[in-house]
Amino acid sequence: MARVQLKHVYKRYTADVATVKDFNLDIADREFLVLVGPSGCGKSTTLRMIAGLEEITEGELLIGDRLVNDVHPKDRDIAMVFQNYALYPHMSIYENMAFGLKLRKVSKAEIDKRVRDAAKILDIEHLLDRKPKALSGGQRQRVALGRAIVREPQVFLMDEPLSNLDAKLRVQMRAEIAKLHQRLQTTVIYVTHDQTEAMTMGDRIVVMKDGLIQQVGTPQEIYNHPNNVFVASFIGSPSMNFLRGNLVEEGGALFFRAEGANVRLPEGRYAALREAGVVGKEVILGIRPENVHDEPMVLDTFPDSTVQADVEVVELLGAESYVYLNLAGQSLVARVAARSEIKPLTKVSLALDINKIHVFHADTEQAIF
Amino acid sequence: MLRAIRRNKAAYLFILPALLLMLLIVFVPLLQGIYYSFTNMDQYNMGNKFVKASYEWIGLANYKRVLAGEGLAEFLGVLKQTMIWTFTNVFFHFILGFGLALLLNRHIKGRGLYRMLLLIPWAVPSFISAFAWRWMFNGEFGFINMVLRKMGFEGVAWLSDPVWAMTAVIITNVWLGFPFMMVTFLGGLQSIPRDLYEAAYVDGASRFQQFLHITLPQMKSTIFTATLLGVIWTFNLFAVIYLITEGGPYNSTQILVTFAYVKAFNNWQLAEATTYGVIILSLLIAFSFFYSRVLKMTEEK
Repeated sequence: MARVQLKHVYKRYTADVATVKDFNLDIADREFLVLVGPSGCGKSTTLRMIAGLEEITEGELLIGDRLVNDVHPKDRDIAMVFQNYALYPHMSIYENMAFGLKLRKVSKAEIDKRVRDAAKILDIEHLLDRKPKALSGGQRQRVALGRAIVREPQVFLMDEPLSNLDAKLRVQMRAEIAKLHQRLQTTVIYVTHDQTEAMTMGDRIVVMKDGLIQQVGTPQEIYNHPNNVFVASFIGSPSMNFLRGNLVEEGGALFFRAEGANVRLPEGRYAALREAGVVGKEVILGIRPENVHDEPMVLDTFPDSTVQADVEVVELLGAESYVYLNLAGQSLVARVAARSEIKPLTKVSLALDINKIHVFHADTEQAIF
Repeated sequence: MLRAIRRNKAAYLFILPALLLMLLIVFVPLLQGIYYSFTNMDQYNMGNKFVKASYEWIGLANYKRVLAGEGLAEFLGVLKQTMIWTFTNVFFHFILGFGLALLLNRHIKGRGLYRMLLLIPWAVPSFISAFAWRWMFNGEFGFINMVLRKMGFEGVAWLSDPVWAMTAVIITNVWLGFPFMMVTFLGGLQSIPRDLYEAAYVDGASRFQQFLHITLPQMKSTIFTATLLGVIWTFNLFAVIYLITEGGPYNSTQILVTFAYVKAFNNWQLAEATTYGVIILSLLIAFSFFYSRVLKMTEEK
């Protein structure tokens, strides 16, 4: 049973600056929770507070219903995987994995069993006698995971464990960690700055910025219903487009207007927009690149939501193309099929899928929908 | 070989001046010294502007005399003093250096200031320090005896009693030499990744266990290099002893290098002095070889 709860947790290194502010989170047993955000957002600090490597300035941390603020890391029933693996260079792989158990005075036979079991799961049995420096990055990563597994902890803490691997290996290890989680059925708290890792691995994602939680939710929730402009721009690649313009009412219909864009908003949203009091004011319209279309059929379907923009660059990625556009000084990216005939340095009409748009307050950058 | 030289002509050309200089100031005198140790050279037969040199090849006679003959007792006495001098010095250099490095490696207030102050003994030219210590050890007017007397003790015959004289030169050299070890060890400590300690901490290692399982193994090669250099330097350290006691009283603070110097330039027993030189060199080579073998063996284990 390892539910992890953080209640009003603060971290202050100096009296007036808080690195983590009022962090509240209830992590369920066996959940794979990802903390994501740009560097300096406080995600690693939060993880290190859970691990016991940083003191909690204020607030409460409970692991499995036990208050552990002042409990030594070794007694918190956690295991941590470090960004640079932190393998002991002078010990063999076997000794690296056995070290924590040896300190706990676990019997030799039990240590041997656990190390060999973990090595089998991670497919590193043939490396047990080697030293870390004789291993590749991916193998070291497995050993680091193995060292955590043998502890049989209630909670795994992982601090950007894949950031030192090359792109291909990272994708592979991503899937392996997910598999491992299914197999071990323990709580995992995973820190990353990579939104793809967050999206693909997390049961839930916590997006952080400047020490504050921006949003907590499943990957789908966060992707489809971002709370604010920051979350919307941080999650998803290429990033969501943001257009500044005015919300105007004409003949009972609401339009988003900016130079080059006159978009009729869906009627179902009128109530929300009116309630937010943004009619007649400046707003930010958000739309993901995959919801900007160039096919004639879509242009016909959404005749009231087209924009005219200058094509600057077209990047062909194989299955699809990214089109970088200039819409009267505002930039716009469209993700279109590779067969699209859009050419650079031309002017094109594009249709926005109005059912997929987001509108944010221009000043607070909070989402209206 | 020849082809390699031809292919990298420019590279060898650049090395050449340094190589020639090395030959001239290191290898030629070295070989010459080794040669003299097989002769009977002294101040009468060494020759000068007016008289032709007349020393002769006498084979291993010098070595026989020093290592198996009438010179043995003298040699063993000086060798024993050299050992005491070397290992006491390196021991205290190591303990002080490592201890201070561990303290300085922690986040204490005024760390930079302490580090600077602790480097002073090393920064001052050693002959100045040696003279200063010589005066401080002076039996009648020295600072140390003055303090001792003020505290109600009797003064110590620092430089005229054999045991105290050795103590005095060792104290001086411990003071002179610990900063080197401290700086070397501090550098080594700072290069140990912090996350190793964090991993061990999470693994449940106490401070002492962290020291034992992370600091020491990670410092092994630094410790090896620093102590090896320390032993060689101290073994060969001429200035401190020569400036403070000149090897006295009654040769009680002579070490091999100072003794060889006295033999050469006070007694003009040049052949025997060079014999001592060759023996010193052989001892150090043997020591370095043995030491690195031991290290390799522990590493393989």
